[in-house]
Amino acid sequence: MLVRTLRITALGLFTTVLAVTSPLSVSAQEGTNIFTTGRDVQAGETLFDRHCSRCHGIGGTGGERGPDLTSGFQRTSTDGGLFVVIREGVANTEMLGIARDQGDQAVWQVIAYLRSLTGGVRVEVPGDAATGVDVYARADCATCHAVDAVGGLDGPDLSTIGSRRSPSELLADLVDPDERVQPDWWSMRVTHRDGTTVEGRRMGEGTYTVRILDVEGRMWSFEKGDLAQSERVVTSTMPSYASELSREELEDLVAYLYGLTRIDR
Amino acid sequence: MKEFAILTLLLVAPPASAQVVPGSISPENRSNSAAPSFNPVTNESLINSDAQPQNWLHYSGNYSSQRYSGLDQVNAGNASQLEMQWAFQLRALDRAETTPLVVDGVMFVTEAPSNVIALDARTGEQYWRYNYPLGDELNFCCGRNNRGVAILGDRLFMSTLDAHLVAIDARTGSLLWDVEVAPADLGYSKTAAPLVVGDMVITGIAGGEYGIRGFVDAYDVQTGERVWRFWTIPGPDQPGNETWAGDSWMTGGAGTWMTGSYDPDLNLIYWGTGNPGPDWNGDVRLGDNLYSSAVVALNADTGELVWHFQFTPHDVHDWDATQIPLLANTDFAGEQRKLMLWPNRNAWFYAIDRETGRFLLGQPYARQTWAERMDEDGRPVRIPNTFPTLEGTTVSPSIGGGSNWWSPSYSPKADLAYVMAYDGETTFFKREEEYIAGDRFTGGGGQTPNPQDTYYSALRAISPQSGEIIWEYPVQPRSTAGVMSTAGDIVFSGTVDGYFFAVNAYTGEELWYVNLGSRVHSGPMSYMVDGRQYVGIAAGNVYYTFALDD
Repeated sequence: MLVRTLRITALGLFTTVLAVTSPLSVSAQEGTNIFTTGRDVQAGETLFDRHCSRCHGIGGTGGERGPDLTSGFQRTSTDGGLFVVIREGVANTEMLGIARDQGDQAVWQVIAYLRSLTGGVRVEVPGDAATGVDVYARADCATCHAVDAVGGLDGPDLSTIGSRRSPSELLADLVDPDERVQPDWWSMRVTHRDGTTVEGRRMGEGTYTVRILDVEGRMWSFEKGDLAQSERVVTSTMPSYASELSREELEDLVAYLYGLTRIDR
Repeated sequence: MKEFAILTLLLVAPPASAQVVPGSISPENRSNSAAPSFNPVTNESLINSDAQPQNWLHYSGNYSSQRYSGLDQVNAGNASQLEMQWAFQLRALDRAETTPLVVDGVMFVTEAPSNVIALDARTGEQYWRYNYPLGDELNFCCGRNNRGVAILGDRLFMSTLDAHLVAIDARTGSLLWDVEVAPADLGYSKTAAPLVVGDMVITGIAGGEYGIRGFVDAYDVQTGERVWRFWTIPGPDQPGNETWAGDSWMTGGAGTWMTGSYDPDLNLIYWGTGNPGPDWNGDVRLGDNLYSSAVVALNADTGELVWHFQFTPHDVHDWDATQIPLLANTDFAGEQRKLMLWPNRNAWFYAIDRETGRFLLGQPYARQTWAERMDEDGRPVRIPNTFPTLEGTTVSPSIGGGSNWWSPSYSPKADLAYVMAYDGETTFFKREEEYIAGDRFTGGGGQTPNPQDTYYSALRAISPQSGEIIWEYPVQPRSTAGVMSTAGDIVFSGTVDGYFFAVNAYTGEELWYVNLGSRVHSGPMSYMVDGRQYVGIAAGNVYYTFALDD
């Protein structure tokens, strides 16, 4: 019964009965987390390690059973939505609701911890975001990246990058782009048995097939059995900006990118 | 014991009469004469199931758990012509991990969380459905799964997620008895197919992530009364208890969450045991932690321990030894032996004398970085600094292991063992954790250091005599599918991205594959009806069958 009630409130169907109950219920109704202190984040981490890491991995980086939680969520983007997912689980998936003996506060603390993994705890940055816009233009970032549908499609969309990456991670991405390349952005070089050679973004790959988007935007699908040669490239197609930009320019660019958040969109 | 028979009779649909329904794909496939389906299954049939290759009478095909079909209508020469015959949509909320039984043209297939459906094995059309009324107190680790039923006479036996064992009438789907095996609120659950031996149902328990104390139980097939229990963690008055520091034995896990095997000649039941608890923090349970991550050989009449072999003493990586025990009678070192073959989750392949439990052979079959070698008794010589730490220690195999619960296979014809292996790795972390009854009790966790696409699975054929990998068939990404071999010289298995495939049993040469659109996370099986061989597999929440078109 408690679970059912919380689900309804978290979905935004407010009821008079719940409106006059504890602060927890108020928080759930509004989908707003009131448990966001450093101590809550710490408690959330302990809860996450115990209840969630079996599938999602320590640190939420994903595992053999569950997805990575450090670069966004598949089912929801709001705290209220996360509350429902953690409390109830997700039907038709392996995602189970958290143990019933864990109260609302525990769920909110897990959410606080998850937000801390995805840039949710905002920090001050040394650079100037307005100047960073100019750096972004001078460095031709828009050739490959889009912000609010303006720019290229050869790299990840940056419209909400500040919600997913911390300033230090953004700086690392700029100076050492090969360090952390997600499989969605790996490249493939393949040669068909008819001699055709295709190189481009690895859109998908399985035991039998591979799909590639080449640099001219053409989509290819190959049976692996038809390929004379196949090579996977796990480095980034983005150059390092360690020597291209000064320290100040990098900090300004990071400030701009860090300001591109879900909240601002 | 609870009696729900009357209530269940009111809840389930009226049973269909046992008659032949003309539902085959084409008129040519219909039987020439009418005959009733399904005949009660005897102990004799269970022991000699290989003599009835048209039926699939055990979760793993036979008592030796070889997952080998003696049918050869579908063979390496014609497998490329396999076509889908029928599909049955399960109502399950979760992925299907089931292997059905087939008895004289009737298929009994389970679905999550704890339901069973009887189907016409020629058409996929339903005779009856039994939905178990699941309790509210559920604490389980790894998905709402059910992997299958066991049968004797006209009774089916099924585990339930809330740690009960039920007997169901195979002709009507009516509940016959229902016993609580262990309290679900303390973290006990059940997902595996039971094993019938004589007039007993042998069954294990899950809950190794909740500080349970594991056991193997035997229940009377007629009454559901418990006949014996073997505790996988010895009590204070039993040998082996000294391998657990202090009171840690009381919450030491060692679940038995998959199905065992049986040798009728030796009258021994073989059952794999799970990880000790807490999984990743061994500091609180110093010692070898018997009989966790081991195999136990039990006297079938009494449940008494005859021998044990521990694959991973003091396991701190969650490397359960709950794989299906493969029993093989074959040559070893120039002598015909009763072997047990075991591609363990710890990435080592073992050959064990199943009469004595003596270690014969240990070779890695998947990527591993934790053991330098096995000593002469099969005890691993560990590589230093491979235990979990606060900062994390990266080790192969991964948490999920070189293999896991998905079934291996052994072909007596090819004399090869087959396993879906995984060459992964995990960074293992240790955490302090207090035991709270009914709560998770794992003491840490893992992190995959590189993207999952970095790692590969492979179907591997292994020599029982040497542990040598004879061939491999790479699969990407990581596969969690079981394996079946057949007298038609085929090995079947599947992939996470929805492919079901067949390769040559001797060479690994690719013969056929089909995209079923969803994860293959179960074990293949095969049967014959009206002279036609079917191959069955669950993918996603659908059960599919394949056969040769006429």
